[in-house]
Amino acid sequence: MILFIKLFKESALFAWGSVVSNKLRTLLTLLGITIGIFAIISVFSVVDALERQIRTSISSLGDNVIYIQKWPWEFSQDFAWWKYMNRPSPRPSELDEIFRRTNILESAVFTASTNRTVEYFNRSIEQVNILSVSQDYDKVRSFEIDAGRFISLTESGSGRNVAVIGSKIASQLFENDNPIGNIIKIFGRNIEVIGVFAPEGDDTFGNNHDEMIVLPLNFVNSFIDVSSDRYGPVILAKGKENFSNDELTDELRGVMRSIRKIKPAAEDDFALNQTSLLSRQFDGLFAILKIAGWIIGGFSILVGGFGIANIMFVSVKERTTIIGIQKALGAKNFFILIQFLSEAVLLSLMGGSIGLLLVFGGTFIASQLFDMDLLIQMKNVLLGVNVSVIIGLVAGFIPAWSAAHLNPVDAIRANT
Amino acid sequence: MIEIRNLYKAFNNLPVLNNVSTIFQKGNTNLIIGQSGSGKTVFMKCLVGLHEPDEGGIYYDNLNFTKLSSRERSQVRKKIGMLFQGSALFDSLNVEENVIFPLEMFNKDMTKKEKLERAHFCLDRVNIHNANHLYPAEISGGMKKRVAIARAIANKPEYLFCDEPNSGLDPATAIVIDNLIREITKEFEITTVINTHDMNSVMEIGDHVVFLYKGELWWEGTSEQILTSGNKEVEEFVYASELMRKLKTN
Ligand SMILES: Nc1ncnc2c1ncn2[C@@H]1O[C@H](COP(=O)(O)OP(=O)(O)OP(=O)(O)O)[C@@H](O)[C@H]1O
Ligand SMILES: [Mg+2]
Repeated sequence: MILFIKLFKESALFAWGSVVSNKLRTLLTLLGITIGIFAIISVFSVVDALERQIRTSISSLGDNVIYIQKWPWEFSQDFAWWKYMNRPSPRPSELDEIFRRTNILESAVFTASTNRTVEYFNRSIEQVNILSVSQDYDKVRSFEIDAGRFISLTESGSGRNVAVIGSKIASQLFENDNPIGNIIKIFGRNIEVIGVFAPEGDDTFGNNHDEMIVLPLNFVNSFIDVSSDRYGPVILAKGKENFSNDELTDELRGVMRSIRKIKPAAEDDFALNQTSLLSRQFDGLFAILKIAGWIIGGFSILVGGFGIANIMFVSVKERTTIIGIQKALGAKNFFILIQFLSEAVLLSLMGGSIGLLLVFGGTFIASQLFDMDLLIQMKNVLLGVNVSVIIGLVAGFIPAWSAAHLNPVDAIRANT
Repeated sequence: MIEIRNLYKAFNNLPVLNNVSTIFQKGNTNLIIGQSGSGKTVFMKCLVGLHEPDEGGIYYDNLNFTKLSSRERSQVRKKIGMLFQGSALFDSLNVEENVIFPLEMFNKDMTKKEKLERAHFCLDRVNIHNANHLYPAEISGGMKKRVAIARAIANKPEYLFCDEPNSGLDPATAIVIDNLIREITKEFEITTVINTHDMNSVMEIGDHVVFLYKGELWWEGTSEQILTSGNKEVEEFVYASELMRKLKTN
């Protein structure tokens, strides 16, 4: 092993010599590898960044929450929308039944949303997202309250005219005033502000409480039909600890089918969605993006690989005599092979490194421009390095093999 | 000692070496001379196995080289040092590393320190001092030749082959190099075979001179005998230059 390292060091020295003495030729040939590695690694980095962002967003939605809805979360092309069109939407009464019939349910909440104008004295904001929630919303979704409190059980049950408002709504509507205890107007009704959500910031789906007003379902119920498809009614169900999503899904399916009196052979007329399904959808998308990266980068690398093979053939030819002398001084075929292979790998690595540097530069600029948190992960750097090494090995193998198996007679002939 | 018996080698049915027999003694500088195209290079290449002879035998201390397996041959090759035309040092290695190279290749059981010591010893022997870390581009032609000699003897060879060792050197340096080779030959009891054009070398270090003519061993003897060989072709070769002709008439 030590001998091998020594041999390798000596091979690398020879290789380095030839790289240094042919700078321009080397540089031009490396361009293919550079572009290829740049394409692959930059696509991977962007996909990784997106993936990270989406995953954190999804987990903030609660990865242990089942969404009972009319529509399934599905993005596929053959989405059978006509099958789902005529399904009934979830209703508040079904929530009560669910509570009664399930065993492993921790909590569940019915929500519906609509957009309305909100007024406070002479100020108003149009198209504010109004979320109507049954009790226990705070047990299913996680959030924090900055000022005041959340809707109480009694307020929820009796449908009191109270509201918890998002931080952005609070600052727009009240500016410097304290919103708590003040009266705002929605649906033409007076509603008392009892709490303000803590600022959350955007996630990928724009899912946050910052620009939202939450009202008790029983209050809103008297102005609009919350079960109407227009308001996107959903039942969010969260299982007890120690129970998996699958167990909860199974139980909910049975319960929902019995609530809706669905015959055994008939299909479900509801969808049980969960965030893991959502991320699975994205998995496909990311896989496609990555494949695209491979294809684009792959072609450049292919070109680059031929370039390296070409350089190596030239290099072998130029150094025929040296090879012969090395052999005459006792160098084994393997030594010659390693020597030229390491030269090829060195070349390819140089090209790849330049590509990686470009990615570093690119991500730096991109993260400045787009406020995107683009990080080059170690695994992507390693991927770039590995791909380069493999290209070097593949492209260099035939030239190196031919060098190693040069007949010393031919190799030395030029010399004597 | 290397013994050559009835060596025959042809290219495309044209004989280049024809029935060559001779003995190269240990501790002697054996010179192969002859006109251009007489077969010197082919002869030497046959000796080290770079060409396969068609007939005949090459005996390295009674070991028939032509009959050996490639593994056994590489055992013999370990004992052969080679001095290539134009020195042929590795440009990317410094003087010391060039000398270590064959040690690195052949001597798997020498320690780093032993190799370094051996390299320094050889460089000392060829009078290279304080140049161990210079690169071939930074030293003179004569020095390169010395380094090449140091490299050729690094592995303590029993046989040393030199191909036109003083081509490209001025006459004074050429004589120094010739004598260095001869000293080393005597000192380490090497069987040295030198391929040359140079009559100066013949006179200076020709312990045993082999004259090839059209692929045949036409004449052999010592450097003294060559002046009075009485052989027409040898005389033509020896007295080709004006200088030698003048020396003769004196
Ligand atoms: N590989 C080969 N294939 C065919 N013919 C060859 C080959 N090598 C040498 N010859 C021929 O063999 C003859 C002897 O060549 P060789 O190189 O041995 O001459 P030489 O004595 O070394 O000449 P010089 O002094 O010019 O180096 C020449 O006619 C040459 O053309
Ligand atoms: Mg020749």
